[in-house]
Amino acid sequence: MNPFASRLGVVALAAAIVAAVLVDSTLFTVEQTEQALITQFGRPVRLITQPGLHAKIPFVQTVIPFDKRLLALELPGEEVLLGDQRRLIVDCFTLYRITDPLKYYQAVGALQNAVQGRMNSIVSSALRRVLGNNKLLDVLSADRERIMSTIRTQVNGEMASFGVAIEDVRIRRADLPPENTQAVLQRMQSERQRVAAEARAEGAAAATRIRADADRERTVLLANARAQADQLRGEGEATAIHSYADAYGKDPQFYSVWRTLEAYRDSLTSNQTQLVLTPGDAILQYLQAPPAPPGPSAGQPAVTGQK
Amino acid sequence: MPDLDQLIAQAQAFVRSLFGGGGGRSGGPRPARPGGRRGLTLLGLAVVALWLASGFYRVEPDQEGVVLRFGAFTRTTLPGLNYHLPWPIERVELPAVTRVNLIEIGYRNGPGSGSDAGGAAGTRDVPQESLMLTGDENIIDLDVAVLWRVSNATSYLFNVRNPDAVVKAVAESSIREVIGRTPIQPAMTERRAQIAADVQKQTQQILDNYGAGIEITQVQIQKADPPDAVIESFRDVQRANTDAERLRNEADAYANNVVPRARGDASRIIAEAEGAKQATIASAQGQTKRFLSVLAAYDQAKDITLTRIYIETLQDVLGHARVTVLDDKLKGVLPLLPLGNSALPPPPTAKPPAQGTATGVTQ
Repeated sequence: MNPFASRLGVVALAAAIVAAVLVDSTLFTVEQTEQALITQFGRPVRLITQPGLHAKIPFVQTVIPFDKRLLALELPGEEVLLGDQRRLIVDCFTLYRITDPLKYYQAVGALQNAVQGRMNSIVSSALRRVLGNNKLLDVLSADRERIMSTIRTQVNGEMASFGVAIEDVRIRRADLPPENTQAVLQRMQSERQRVAAEARAEGAAAATRIRADADRERTVLLANARAQADQLRGEGEATAIHSYADAYGKDPQFYSVWRTLEAYRDSLTSNQTQLVLTPGDAILQYLQAPPAPPGPSAGQPAVTGQK
Repeated sequence: MPDLDQLIAQAQAFVRSLFGGGGGRSGGPRPARPGGRRGLTLLGLAVVALWLASGFYRVEPDQEGVVLRFGAFTRTTLPGLNYHLPWPIERVELPAVTRVNLIEIGYRNGPGSGSDAGGAAGTRDVPQESLMLTGDENIIDLDVAVLWRVSNATSYLFNVRNPDAVVKAVAESSIREVIGRTPIQPAMTERRAQIAADVQKQTQQILDNYGAGIEITQVQIQKADPPDAVIESFRDVQRANTDAERLRNEADAYANNVVPRARGDASRIIAEAEGAKQATIASAQGQTKRFLSVLAAYDQAKDITLTRIYIETLQDVLGHARVTVLDDKLKGVLPLLPLGNSALPPPPTAKPPAQGTATGVTQ
């Protein structure tokens, strides 16, 4: 290589470096997720929302990128007094978007997270304000949506001067403080105990009722059966009485004699029976006098029966 | 794509013109010939070729390619081998669009969490996430798994910062909101599926409002229990229900035993009465028939039959009873007779010495 060529090379190299530096400080990219504010000696001059390759005046202008996406801000749990004097630990998150980088830059500067400290206190106070007007049951119920949108509106109003739009404020957790939690747990426990006792008592009551019903049914069944039995026996007796009356009515006198004698045979033929007779009694009449040829006269024996 | 073809065609034309039709091997540059200028040119060409080749990239089957030119979105590409203009002109983002991601709320699965808290092996409870207030101001212990995937790669990449964390926050918020209007008892039992569906719907709706490009594919309720501190009394309620059921069953068993038995007893009583009735009637018929037969016989010889019956009967009676025959003329002896008390066994032999004829019959 000759010296001329080498000198030429050095110049070319220097030119290339200068060109590169110029290009680098002139051209810049704006990402799809970004928007950029161009400042000239610190004074905002231009806003670029279109992503892609852009140019600025080198060295004089500076590019400050801002996120264009939805940004989340978590607010740590804090204790809030509700409208019904109950306490609730609420943590929520806020989704916001930088809509006006110029205002944003003027209000809090270039830092992405600079606004979050301010927003924290604004969301927190809005949260206390809105929840302070609502009862615990409202916060738990379907009213939660309305409460959250009220908070969002209030925060939005206050954050407008920061060039920030609040897209959503959502209550993430809403829990009772530990001492109230303990109380709720105790209440749950006692309530469950009550339910358990009730279930057992109801079971016992049902069992007693079933047993009593069974006993009643048994009693009724037996009583009905006895009634029917008595009726049957009565029918039997009635039939018997009719038969007796029919038969014995044919010769009542004979029946009387025959049946009396039958009764003697049945009741006086035990060895417990003692009879005191006199020789003149009909059956013993021949003990005193021999039978006379004329027909006998039937007399009644004197009978003393004792069992 | 036209960009790509065009560029390659231009590059090939350029190389051809330099080598006069010779093939340009972009791989290893040849050692510089004596003409150092040519070697330098080749080196430069090789660098350019490498730079151009750095634009090739592969999109895996579960990915989608999102190509940005100077930071601005230009196109999406499908799985396979693709080309983008090399840095710093274009670059590619490769979000996994078909992969299903899991968010665990109220618990953490997996190793490392150890056994510092109760629960199944490898599962750790996170009470500050899982304990929440129900609509009737009770506290429920709820573990939920949320499955989601990227439904729109560009929205996912460009609309929300840190979308994974936002999904979790939104899901948690939705769960608490849904549980906040559900009483504890249904939440633990029959409304579980409904709760999961509501949470999925609401989370999806909110994420759509954000334009997050995320689809909630499933919400699974892993556990819906009372808090550990009170779970014992909840179990006791179940035991109480079982106890009550058992008492009822026992009583039913008793009833099922007693009532049929009583029916049987009733049948027996009626049957007995029926029998007694028949017996009474039969007995009456027998007696009347007997009487009628006797009567018929008697009618044929009244006097003699009557006498015969009389005598036979008295014979039977006197044959069995203890008989004292006393002459009524001897009145003085009467008080001495041991009439009475059958309880005292009468002395078999000590008969009052009747003066007349006295016959003691003892059997």
